[in-house]
Amino acid sequence: MIKLMAPGMLFIFLYCLTPVAHTEEVSPDPLDSVMWKEMRRSLLGDAPVVFDDQVRVLLPGDAEDSMNVPVLVDATALGKVTRLLVFAELNPIHKVLEMEPRQSKPLIGFRIKVQQATPVRAAALTPDGQWHVGGHIVEAAGGGCTAPSLSSDNEDWASRMGEVSGRLWPGDQSTRLRMRIMHPMDTGLVSGIPAFFINRLELQDNAGDLLTRLFLYEPVSENPVITLDLPKLNVVKVQGEDNNGNPVQARILAGLSGDKK
Amino acid sequence: MISPYRKTTLLNRVAIASLGAAVVFAGSASARTTQADIDADATSTGDVLSWGIGQQGQRYSPLNKVNKKNVKKLVPAWSFSFGGEKQRGQEAQPVIKDGKMFVTASYSRLYAIDSKTGEELWQYDHRLPDGILPCCDVVNRGAALYDDLVIFGTLDARIIALSQETGKVVWRAKVDDYKAGYSMTAAPLIVKDMVITGVSGGEFGVVGRVEARDAKTGKMRWIRPSIEGHMGYIWKDGKKVENGITGTTNATWPGDMWKTGGAATWQGGSYDHEVDLIFYGTGNPAPWNAHLRPGDNLYATSTLALDPDTGKISWHYQYTPNDGWDYDGVNELVSFNTGGKKLAGHADRNGFFYVLDRTNGNLENAFPFVNRIDWAKGVDLKTGRPIETGVRAGDPTKSKDGKKGESVFVAPSFLGAKNWMPMAYSPDTELFYVPANEWGMDLWNEPITYKKGAAYLGAGFTIKPLNEDYIGALRAVDPKSGKVVWEYKNNAPLWGGVMTTGGGLVFTGTPEGFLKAFDDKTGEELWKFQTGSGVVGCPVTWEQDGEQFIAVPSGWGGAVPLWGGDVAKKVKYLNQGGSLWVFKLSDV
Repeated sequence: MIKLMAPGMLFIFLYCLTPVAHTEEVSPDPLDSVMWKEMRRSLLGDAPVVFDDQVRVLLPGDAEDSMNVPVLVDATALGKVTRLLVFAELNPIHKVLEMEPRQSKPLIGFRIKVQQATPVRAAALTPDGQWHVGGHIVEAAGGGCTAPSLSSDNEDWASRMGEVSGRLWPGDQSTRLRMRIMHPMDTGLVSGIPAFFINRLELQDNAGDLLTRLFLYEPVSENPVITLDLPKLNVVKVQGEDNNGNPVQARILAGLSGDKK
Repeated sequence: MISPYRKTTLLNRVAIASLGAAVVFAGSASARTTQADIDADATSTGDVLSWGIGQQGQRYSPLNKVNKKNVKKLVPAWSFSFGGEKQRGQEAQPVIKDGKMFVTASYSRLYAIDSKTGEELWQYDHRLPDGILPCCDVVNRGAALYDDLVIFGTLDARIIALSQETGKVVWRAKVDDYKAGYSMTAAPLIVKDMVITGVSGGEFGVVGRVEARDAKTGKMRWIRPSIEGHMGYIWKDGKKVENGITGTTNATWPGDMWKTGGAATWQGGSYDHEVDLIFYGTGNPAPWNAHLRPGDNLYATSTLALDPDTGKISWHYQYTPNDGWDYDGVNELVSFNTGGKKLAGHADRNGFFYVLDRTNGNLENAFPFVNRIDWAKGVDLKTGRPIETGVRAGDPTKSKDGKKGESVFVAPSFLGAKNWMPMAYSPDTELFYVPANEWGMDLWNEPITYKKGAAYLGAGFTIKPLNEDYIGALRAVDPKSGKVVWEYKNNAPLWGGVMTTGGGLVFTGTPEGFLKAFDDKTGEELWKFQTGSGVVGCPVTWEQDGEQFIAVPSGWGGAVPLWGGDVAKKVKYLNQGGSLWVFKLSDV
């Protein structure tokens, strides 16, 4: 269901008061977040925005582990989605990930770090140029972004970095992919440890045609675990890199663990 | 390669490239650095594009707006902090192009700064694994510019090429396994559209080598090991092809010792476009205990002249055959022309200054540039070999318990009559300005076997000053007469690079924190400025909007505080830092 706009009278009233013709927010933020206006301005720009329950953001109400909060974003109810943007408003780094679904469903599972209780939202852009926004608040004890990653305590983290393990589950309509990539995903907010994270992932079919493209940011949990819904396939290629240029490369097969880089 | 796969990859690249196109092409038509720009760097005054202020390495700028008459009016234009807690040795030489400065700092960090205002444009902090094995502090000596890229080596033995505009990684190459002791600290060299690099790690028994990669893509072009017996390779149509063994196996090395023979190429090289040769210095043979490796141990402690097209050794000159004192030969070879001859100067750790014919490596002259040399009486100009005195540390297998050989006191110390810090040559005065140190060492040998990633020395040592009042001495050396024309003595060891200018000035820093300017003919100290921490970086100068600027990194560190032994009392109150200082003439 679409919670569409406040009454038209109010809209006109606001419009008259605002000298600059700017798409002003009319429907109240269902999560009543102090950051919403800023998020909209900086991440979504001037495009029209609606709060829309068809963008489902599933996550626990309370984070048991602030460094690993599982999130599932599902915008399949909207049909075609050209971009999917996930952000955590009260994190010191807001953007979590971006997805260009292309051949995949607009659905992604992953884990994030949260610094304090925060709205976690997903914005899905439909081909008509409309952003559809859904979200939930996660309560958290906090500190997930400024505590060192577990890997950085382990002197040997670099030797497994970039290793991919995963599997395909063929379904009737589509193939479910779940994979884990070994990487510290450092936020750069821990003293003495620079930001170091996988920032680009592409999934391709066996011929190398692009299935879906992901841009990850610092708040994605270390050793990212990612779930996607892809077309029916037997093999998926994973290609990507981190912000230091280290490559991620793997082939993931049905029923088998993916071979490592 | 499967063609559809390749096609898609290319298409993806195009798509990604087009996203950044607006940024890349805006105002960068003139900003791209070409090989011709780099070859002309020594005479172009509006930029500094290469290590050595020109790849012949003279560190001479013709700029004379700042000169002997007005240098007293030199004042800070701006200062920039490298930030963080990572305040270790700052040994870099900045590079400057079109109003942007690129400078590296300790722990493999790179900064892009507006060269007029000191405002940061972006910074790249390389994520280093915990297991890196830098022998001699976590330094970096600088970046290279090529096309729209800025390229540098990291302590975990990677080469990173970043966009000059955005600081984003364009390509990266893994050079080797940091766990075996490989690391990179030198500034890369750009030759014929290739990026040329060496490796650090001579204290861990790695084998030195020089590598060439396509500067635009990072793809391998050739590789030349610096120890005899190891195969060189060249890439033809993307295929790795054998390109001949370096030297002759077992000609100057016994048994299998060449397999872990050292000769690290850790200092970075120079390129002489007049003779079309790359000059690369090689480090000590491993282990330090020379009794384990009778023979000359080629090509350790040498300068290699490499053909840039094939990576083959065109000529070599070895400074310390069968090095038993860690007289690493990596120090730079600086080209100069005089009397119609194409020559080159090299101030070695072993205390001698060498003048070579740079077309063929023949020795023209060799003389001491420090006051005390114990290991050799001189260098035979006919054979090119040192005349040794026999002052060598004893063989531990001949000692009573077999654990410690006879100890000797020998000067210079292994930190060298001159270490990595590059000297300068002025074509105006025809003098070299050499940052020298006067010190000796007690040295003894111990048994050792190679173990991956462990120090491979087989020696014990402690360094001692030779004089009460000074260790460092900046010396003006005449390569023709072998005479020291003037000297400036410094209490702590000198560890920073030197620059000389058309204004008749010689600039260098001191561990006590000063950047100083001297009269290039008399050595008179004309100006100094306290930067707040020891200066072990390399000064540069350039002209911008009609003004001459001079820059130097500040931040005490390097090998001296780690390895300096008895020298510690001269340096223990020197505090760390991490900043860049830029100077210009006062407006008032």
